This record gives sequence, C-alpha cells and structure tokens, in this order.
Amino acid sequence: MPAEPPLAATRIFQTGRIVTMNPSLPIATHVAVRDCRILGIGGPELVDAFGPAILDDRFTGNVIVPGFVEGHGHAADGLMWRNPYAGYFPRTAPGGSHHAGFRSIAEMIARLRQIEAAMTDPDRPLVAWGFDPIYFDGPRLTVTDLDAISTRRMIVVAHVSGHILNVNSVVLERAGFSADSNLQGLVRDAAGQLTGELQGPAVMGRANRITGEAGLSRELDVAALRDFAALTRRVGVTTSTDLANPLPDETVAALQSATAEKDFPLRLVPALRAREFTVPDGIARIKALQRLNTERLHFGIAKLVVDGSIQGFTARLRWPGYHNGAPNGLWYIAPAELGSIIEAYHRAGIQLHIHTNGDEASELATEMIGRAVSAYPRLDHRHTLQHCQMADEAIFRRMHAFGMCVNLFANHIYYWGEQHRALTVGPSRAQRMNACGTALKVGVPLAIHSDTPVTPVDPLFTMWCAVNRVTARDRVLGPHERVTPEQALHAVTLGPAYTLHLDHLIGSIDVGKFADFAVLDRDPLAIEPMQIRDIKVRATVSGGRVFDSA
Amino acid sequence: MNVIPLTVIGGFLGAGKTTLVNQLLHTATRRYGVLVNDFGAIAIDAALIAARDGDTIALTNGCVCCGMSGDLGDGLLRLAARQPEIDHVIVEASGVSDPWRVAELALVEPGFSLEPIVVVADAAALESQLRDRWVADTVRGQLLTAEVIVLNKADRAEFLQGARAAIRTIRPDAKLIQTQHGIISDWVLRFAVSPRSWFHADAAPEHAFPTWHFVPAGPFDRDRLRALLSTLPASILRVKGFCTLGPEAAPHLLQFASGQWALSPVTAMAPGLVVIGTPAMPDGTELAARFGDAEVPRSAVNLP
Repeated sequence: MPAEPPLAATRIFQTGRIVTMNPSLPIATHVAVRDCRILGIGGPELVDAFGPAILDDRFTGNVIVPGFVEGHGHAADGLMWRNPYAGYFPRTAPGGSHHAGFRSIAEMIARLRQIEAAMTDPDRPLVAWGFDPIYFDGPRLTVTDLDAISTRRMIVVAHVSGHILNVNSVVLERAGFSADSNLQGLVRDAAGQLTGELQGPAVMGRANRITGEAGLSRELDVAALRDFAALTRRVGVTTSTDLANPLPDETVAALQSATAEKDFPLRLVPALRAREFTVPDGIARIKALQRLNTERLHFGIAKLVVDGSIQGFTARLRWPGYHNGAPNGLWYIAPAELGSIIEAYHRAGIQLHIHTNGDEASELATEMIGRAVSAYPRLDHRHTLQHCQMADEAIFRRMHAFGMCVNLFANHIYYWGEQHRALTVGPSRAQRMNACGTALKVGVPLAIHSDTPVTPVDPLFTMWCAVNRVTARDRVLGPHERVTPEQALHAVTLGPAYTLHLDHLIGSIDVGKFADFAVLDRDPLAIEPMQIRDIKVRATVSGGRVFDSA
Repeated sequence: MNVIPLTVIGGFLGAGKTTLVNQLLHTATRRYGVLVNDFGAIAIDAALIAARDGDTIALTNGCVCCGMSGDLGDGLLRLAARQPEIDHVIVEASGVSDPWRVAELALVEPGFSLEPIVVVADAAALESQLRDRWVADTVRGQLLTAEVIVLNKADRAEFLQGARAAIRTIRPDAKLIQTQHGIISDWVLRFAVSPRSWFHADAAPEHAFPTWHFVPAGPFDRDRLRALLSTLPASILRVKGFCTLGPEAAPHLLQFASGQWALSPVTAMAPGLVVIGTPAMPDGTELAARFGDAEVPRSAVNLP
C-alpha cells in the first residue's frame, strides 16, 4: 500500500495555545512534526531541540486541538450532495457552498423550481433530501406545491427523518397511487385527496423503485469519498468512521484508492455491516480486510443494528413505551440470535459496534455482551453501543462492569429534542436522553457523534450540544446531564479514538501519534459555552499536511 | 394482466420456516419463486440443483430460490420478471419481522395477489416465548397477522395442548394446522381459488376458506365502494379481481386485505370479484346486496 510521501523535514508549529488532551502536558505552544507524526510538544525550547527545523507560525493567534474523530458517521454523506438539499438547518456542501436552510415551504419550492428549470434531461427525477418541516407553522407540503415545480418530471422531497417522502402527481400516477386506493401510508387531506405524502417502507419503497432512488444504499466511489473528506476536513475532522458498509470488493477498492491519494485529508474507519454475511463469512471478511490496513484506512469493526429509530417509532423501548402511545418498535435481530452473533464475533477477537436506540435495545445488547464476556473473558474488547440514547444509570453501570464503551448521539438533543419531549419519550425521559453526564460519572468511556448525514458532521457543534443541551427551540433539556467543555472535547477526540481502538495513534497531541490537528480561531475550553458552536475551523492538519478550511 | 400469487411465511426464529421452505422446494408441483431470509440455511439436494448463480439457485423442478439482499420489493420484481414465469412467489419473512410488512408489498406492487399469511409456530417453545420479556410482543404480533397458523413440532405432546390453547386465545378465528418437521401440503399456501382462473375454483382443498364470486352488473361508484370496503367485517380476508369505476367505467384491479385496498388502473378486463373470508363471513345474499349497493345507479352510466 503506497503511503503518502514522508514529510521528512522537521516542522514546528508555533501558536498561542495548543490543547493537547495529553495528561502529561495538557497545554503547549509548540508542536514539532516529522514524517507525518508528532515529534515533540512544549514551549519555545522545542525550536532548537530537534536539529534543523522549519518554524511555522502561520497559526499564530489560533488554537490547535487534536484532530476531531467522528465516531459515528456515514461516508454516504459524500453522495447526498449529488441531489439538492431541502433542509431547514444550515448546511455546507463538499465544495464549500453554504446552504442557509429554508425557512418556509415557499422558499424551498422557489429554489427547487430554479433547479428544475436548469435540468437538461427531462426524464431524470428531481430528488431533494433533508426536508425537515417540524419547525414550520402552517400547512404541510402537498402534491400541489410540488406540481408547481413540474407536472412532467418526477419530483421527490425526502424528509430528514428517513420515514417520509413527499412526491408530485407524476410519481403518484406512475406508482399507481390514487385516491381510490386505501393503503397505509398514503396521506389524505380533509377532502380525501392524496397529499403526496408517503409514510412508511411499503409506499416509500414503491416510490423509490419508480424513481430509481435508493438514497443511502448507493455504493461509494472515489469521488464520493473525496466529497466526504471535503465535508469532514472543513469541520476539523481528521478521522471518521463509515458505520457501516457491506464492504464489497468495489467499495474496498474505492476506499484504498481514495485514501492513498496524497491530498486525501482523512483517515477512514469503515465498519462491516455484519448482517449481510453469515457469521463465519463476516468474521473471515473482517480478518481479510484487516490485512489491507494502512495509516489512513483501518478495518476491523463489525456493526450490528438491534432496533430502529426513536423518531420513527421503530426503536425498542422499555415500559412505559412511547409517550404518544405508539406501539413498541421492532427488533432487527432476534434477542437470542443477537446473543449468538455477539458471542461468535467476541470469541473471534473482533470489536463490535452495536446500534441501539431505545432503552430496551440497549439493555438487551448489554445483557448479551455481558454473557459473552463472562463466558469468554477477553480484556480490552471495547465493544461499543452506538446511539444508546435512552440508557439510564443502571444500564450504564452494567456497561461499565462489562468493559463496554458508549457513543451517544448528542446532536439529537438539538435537532429532535422538542419532538422527543412532546411525542416520543415525553418530558421526563427526554431529560436523560444521551446522558453524557451519567455515562462519565459511572465511568463508561464516552464518545459523541453526528451520524452524518442524519445530522451534519461538525464536532464543535456536537460538543456544544453535550455542554449546553439546548433544543432548536432554545429549551435546556436535561441540565443535569450537561458535561464540561473539557469532557466534551475529550468525547470528540480521544473518546472516539478509544472506541475505535486507535487511541494510541490519534485523538491527542502526543509524541509518536499522527500529526492530526484541528486549528481553531478560539479556544473551546475558554469561550462562553453557548459560543462553542460559533468557533471557526481555520485549518485541518492531517499527518502534518496543512489543509486550509477555506 | 398477469398477477402472481404471493404467500408470506412468517414466524419467530427457530419455528421451522426454513425447514418448511426446504421441504416445499423439494416436493413442489408448481414453479415456486422463493425469497429466503437465511440463504445459507437452504439445503437443496445436489441432484435437484439445475444452476447456481450467487445467491440464486434454480431447481430442476422449475423452482427458484433467492437470498433476500437489499430491497425486498426489488427482489420480488426480479422474481416476477424471470423467464420461464414463476407460478407462485413465497417470501420467508425474517424471524423478528411483522409478516404484514411483507404482505403490504403485494398490495403496493400491482403484479401480485396476496395469498394467506402463514405463520409458523414452534409448539415446544411458543408458551415460553409468549412469556419472554423481550420477544413476547413480537411473537404475539406475528400470530395476530396470521391467516393460517402452522403449529410445527406437534410431536412434542407435552407442549401441544398448551400451545394450541395459547394460539386460540390470541387468534380464535385463524386456521390452525398441526405438523412435524415443517411438512405441509401446497394447498396451505393458497386460498381455494387460483388467481389465474378466479372464476373456476380449484377442487376445494381441505382448509377451503369460504369464497363468494360476484360479477358486478356495472361500474362501482367510487364513494360507495370506499364506504363498502371501509366497513367490511374482519371475517372478510380478501376481495380481489377486476371491476370498473365511476360513470366512465374505468377498469381497475382491486385487492383488499386487512382494511387496506389498492385499486390499480388496468386495460380493459372482464369484471369479476372473489371475496374470501373465514366461516363467519356474511352469506352470499348479504354480500350481493352490499356490493350491489355500491354500483353506480344504472341511469348514471355512460355506456360506450
């Protein structure tokens, strides 16, 4: 595997403040870099300590922190931007164009009309993504709105929740959906006419087959990986997971090819979507992939999904269930089968990252890991629950006892906190959602994440969520679960590095580790906590190579 | 318009669905296209394998067995497009899924006709599953969607009566069939009539669901048909066939199941409906009156 050409010369970055996350030397002003790695950290004494060196002062006045680690993201984010963004919240495209987000349906329709007018192939569907109507007052998006864009071209607007599509009359007609039918998920207005809103997998699946759009299931190519790295680089991320991917040969080739490019600014940690394989085949696949590991591409994790999502009412909740009375969600793996899969991967020495959203799913996965580690003790397995949004103190205590880690979905507090409070889990359990404070108190190693593209990748924003726990309606949700800025910074650097078994290589600024930094305009540990999300990333340094954020 | 019958086989992990599917493939008298959840567990006699391509096995008896990877709807459409044509599609739902989620696809995709939802239960495990803290609601939910319940491992006499009683408590009206080693007859997979010849009922199989055939005298009124379909009693499991709608007498394919229905526009077809239900279904006289009332009044029809 060709590595990038070594940056052989010693370069010393001099800046006002370096927050290292390194307990021996937490704060420094100089960091020396050689051969892509950190050679030394300290003060002005470094300048003469390592022989001839380039003194690089371009970051004077900035703050250097360890490069951020996105412990739960999806590289498919790099594919999303091939279609127009229709969301409410601001978001930046890989090319750097900033989308302010739409504040009304009329604004979004006007923009989609412009996009439609510029499309040349009349048969190509227009599929916009990220639509998020929950903060709009007034009527919902309808087929009439979308027909105003075109009544010849198929138009689809996908909701950010992943559980709803809005379509125009062309899609309704080609799918054979008419007001004469009465299918679950075909939403009607008061007059009985179809609104073009499609809810749930059956009718959404039909529409996707008609338009040929399958969203996240499209395969990654090199261009998508470059776009993903462009997104992550701009927000200071130097390592990201792709959690998860079936990792067919073509995808592995694309990963190898992209990460071998000299200017590729990101280390990638793809997890294998284990359920696409029999257990022996999945274990064999991971072991084979591990032989391909390089400094920039790291295989070795298996991902399992135990339940669905809370906002989609498919997560498994314990009593008293969903606040609005919706029936309990679905197991994606039978409990006994989960136990046997966990045991097999655990015994094979493979690390598991397990998606559990509801507290019943987290409890089950914890129980099953507990059985496996009790029957087949293995030190330092670091099996990690991903999302784990509703775990309470008792679940965290057991996770701690079994040596497990957690990666909490802190961004949910901002993006869906109001819905969780009002509809999904109600006012009491919403206080303990993504309970970073409890996880740390109990001693469970903690990371926090964006699940990009579900919410935008931006670790400073994720930190802000964990520190302030403020919803999009400015309500503080669960003040007792807030963590300090130091704890939050740890949870986007060394914390996720630990959950990936990469804390010896990334996650802090320490001698011998990769020279991966985020260069910020202000210090997240010194700033007023509500301003953490406003900090600008000036540059990202990956293996000593500087990438400006412009 | 070609409509392929589709049977969903659900049931909790370990109930014996894969054994049942293996056995159906070996003894098939029709060309089954089977989508299985666990392709690795399918064990076909080498002598019966005509071709193997990735996760698709073609059998010498005309059947095809495919692994379910990616989108289930895509898998169904691939089966429907096969040449020579498949006679009947069987989908083995995953052990934790709601069989109705699979069945819904047969309403949403116009090329399929929904046959009974079959749920396999393990006689020896059922009662403890229904008490299990994690799976009780899943197992119960699967039984609630069933139209035929196959109680497998019925040789376990010590559990049989308890299992039967548990099923009868949850689903007093479902067909209950007992078996061992997943052995069932082909007819379990079908209602009494073949969709290819809806008006020439096959010889009534042992578990015949009551059926009633109806040829509407004219088109249905849209509002009256909606009112009729939305108030059908739970004892009516299916309404399917061709009808015409509105004063313009537009031909449609109608499929009704479980309170939902699809009316898909089709090219002209001779109208004719079949109603399938449980023994509690209203009799022909009442049904004729109800369906007759949904027709467009004669004077309003524009005859071509």
